[in-house]
Amino acid sequence: MPSSNPLPPKENALFKRILKCYEHKQYKNGLKFAKQILSNPKYCEHGETLAMKGLTLNCLGRKEEAYEHVRRGLRNDLQSHVCWHVYGLLQRSDKKYDEAIKCYRNALKWDKDNIQILRDLSLLQIQMRDLEGYKDTRYHLFMLRPTQRASWIGFAISYHLLKDHEMALKILDTFRNSPMVFYDYDHSELLLYQNMLIQESGDSEQALKHLDKNIDKICDKITVKETYGKLRLELAQYAEASKVYEQLLHINPENKMYYMKLAEAERHTTPEDTLAMLEHYEHEYPRALAPKRLQLNYATGDKFKQLVDRYLRKGLHKGVPPLFVDLRSLYKDQEKVNIIESLVLGYKDALKAHDHFSDEDKDKPREPASALLWTYYFLAQHYDYLGLTQKALDEIDVAIYHTPTLIELFVTKGRIYKHGGDVQEAYKWLDEAQGLDTADRYINSKCAKYMLRANLIKEAEETCSKFTREGVQAMENLNEMQCMWIQTEAAYAYKRLGKYGEALKKCHEVDRHFSEIIEDQFDFHTYCMRKMTLRSYVGLLRLEDVLRSHPFYFKAAKCAIEVYIRLHDHPLPDPTQTQEIDTGELLTLCLLLNLY
Amino acid sequence: MAAASCSSVVLQGSLLATVGFSSSSRRLRALAKIELGDVTPHNIKQLKLLNQVVFPVSYNEKFYKDVLEAGELAKIAYYNDVVVGAVCCRVDTSENSRRLYIMTLGCLYAYRRLGVGSVMVKHVLDYVEKKGNFDSIFLHVQVNNEGAIDFYKKFGFEIVETKKYYYKRIEPADAHVLQKTLRTHNPPAAQ
Repeated sequence: MPSSNPLPPKENALFKRILKCYEHKQYKNGLKFAKQILSNPKYCEHGETLAMKGLTLNCLGRKEEAYEHVRRGLRNDLQSHVCWHVYGLLQRSDKKYDEAIKCYRNALKWDKDNIQILRDLSLLQIQMRDLEGYKDTRYHLFMLRPTQRASWIGFAISYHLLKDHEMALKILDTFRNSPMVFYDYDHSELLLYQNMLIQESGDSEQALKHLDKNIDKICDKITVKETYGKLRLELAQYAEASKVYEQLLHINPENKMYYMKLAEAERHTTPEDTLAMLEHYEHEYPRALAPKRLQLNYATGDKFKQLVDRYLRKGLHKGVPPLFVDLRSLYKDQEKVNIIESLVLGYKDALKAHDHFSDEDKDKPREPASALLWTYYFLAQHYDYLGLTQKALDEIDVAIYHTPTLIELFVTKGRIYKHGGDVQEAYKWLDEAQGLDTADRYINSKCAKYMLRANLIKEAEETCSKFTREGVQAMENLNEMQCMWIQTEAAYAYKRLGKYGEALKKCHEVDRHFSEIIEDQFDFHTYCMRKMTLRSYVGLLRLEDVLRSHPFYFKAAKCAIEVYIRLHDHPLPDPTQTQEIDTGELLTLCLLLNLY
Repeated sequence: MAAASCSSVVLQGSLLATVGFSSSSRRLRALAKIELGDVTPHNIKQLKLLNQVVFPVSYNEKFYKDVLEAGELAKIAYYNDVVVGAVCCRVDTSENSRRLYIMTLGCLYAYRRLGVGSVMVKHVLDYVEKKGNFDSIFLHVQVNNEGAIDFYKKFGFEIVETKKYYYKRIEPADAHVLQKTLRTHNPPAAQ
């Protein structure tokens, strides 16, 4: 360990023990050894020891002392890579990544081939998306350790991220031909990553060849098939593509995407073509729901009526609670809405009269008593969706009279009131529903949300507390779990109540979750490289790049912006002038507005 | 007896005339799933709601507190996964015998004559048979509740007594005691 100020053997041994203690998280012992060195007046200002003491103090949460020691250490030994490295680590732990990168660079000036520092630097560079810098560092690491798998992978990825697909592929190819490769699951993942790379370079033909060549070595057979299908379609090899999607449907006849891709491969030009194909698969896989449901998207007129009639009867007979939600997407077509409505109204009359879906069925076995209940339930949701609040309420009330114990009915009644604009009544029905099954977290959460809509923040928190960790405030626990919907709803509730400080607090909590998600990325830079889950890793990097485009962020940000604008237009009175304002509220506000 | 108890397969008196329980008159019906489930602190409100709409008398908190401890003696009935009925019993050791008392056994109106009640009674009969230490099973029923009386007779219950003014707030106030004897009662060593 070269240093401008080397310690004699005894002290040097002690210093090594500090390093070891740090690595093994024995911070207290580390401090002891540091003290032994520093208590010697000859070495009381020894830079590297001071720096290490600081780093250890930081791990014990004594941040101020940590900075003081590390800076003093650095001042005493500006040419020590240890001091610079330690300073970088300290900054990194404080999330000051730009500063940390500068420190690492300084450290490398004094020890340019230090693997550990280079690795730490590369992590920061990818975290900060300094892609050029990342590439250089990975190159450096590669040159230093060409026999390590991670060196090759990292090197290749750095080119991939710079969209230099050719170079990335070349690196991977060379690596795969080296004796470092074992034919295991990792290798299978590596091949799929390589294929992804080729696809992204735009050369579908090459990707196909690569897949052909390596198919035996790839374990994830479904992905192989799906990739084949995608590539065949891209290359307009429609007959082959059809075959692939037929095989995939045989494996999973419920995957709607496969049907759509097959329709593409079969070059359908009219909805009738697709309909005929789906019909074929309905016979092929009689137990599959997807072909039956998809037909409803393509059929029209009498054909639609016949199909939806069958579909509805099946659902109502069996008692499928989300039947309406399943069909809701058809409601953009008014003709289909009319057909569904007239059918379901027909069922209602016939079921009431003689327990069949229609008069023609009278000789058949009677429907279960629950069929009428689900028919009412469907109609209530149908009318609610169409904005016919009174009709919806009438249906749900009959349903509740018929079966007063079905929780879904209370939830729907609440939802009808919510859509009708009556937040008070809405939450009451959700509360009723929640009480009937206190083990149902979905209904518990819905109830809390409805309470927040009615500005009942305390009640909502109480409701949530049935499911949050005991001994902790519910809201605190929900914050810990990054439960953003409730924080956003609470923010809006506070805003409506004019508690702007509290509202902003909630919005900032949501913002912090997003920062944390970006922070959490850090661990994956090493983890994914080691586990060779490179497709997912690149996917993660791309997700993080656009993380704040998530609707949750938008919603919370909108609330915050509205509050800030409102406060700008109507500033709060000066706290020194008025005594009436809740001081806690004001303090929060001032903190958030950086006034203190 | 703390609260008036009432066991009925049918609800209001006015409906009784139309509700017979002869299986020959039943037309074929598509198969439905009938299952029994436990009463827990999480779903006890469903039981309360059910009893509230099924029975003309209401039960106090103590009733529901005991039900939570009753184990197999209190069950909720599901018809195609919907809560439609419930049965609550307790062990009665008065009159020098060990008897099972059916406090409530009821089903929502829309789900009657579908076999839900039978499933619940059979559960109770199975229970006492398995235990083997009960002398009889009994229950009270309003004297005009012919549907319920016929229903229990199918399972071997008989009217053994009629109590005047058994119910306090409903008409008619008289109740039959329906009983099914399980073993001949030998009073323990009363010479």
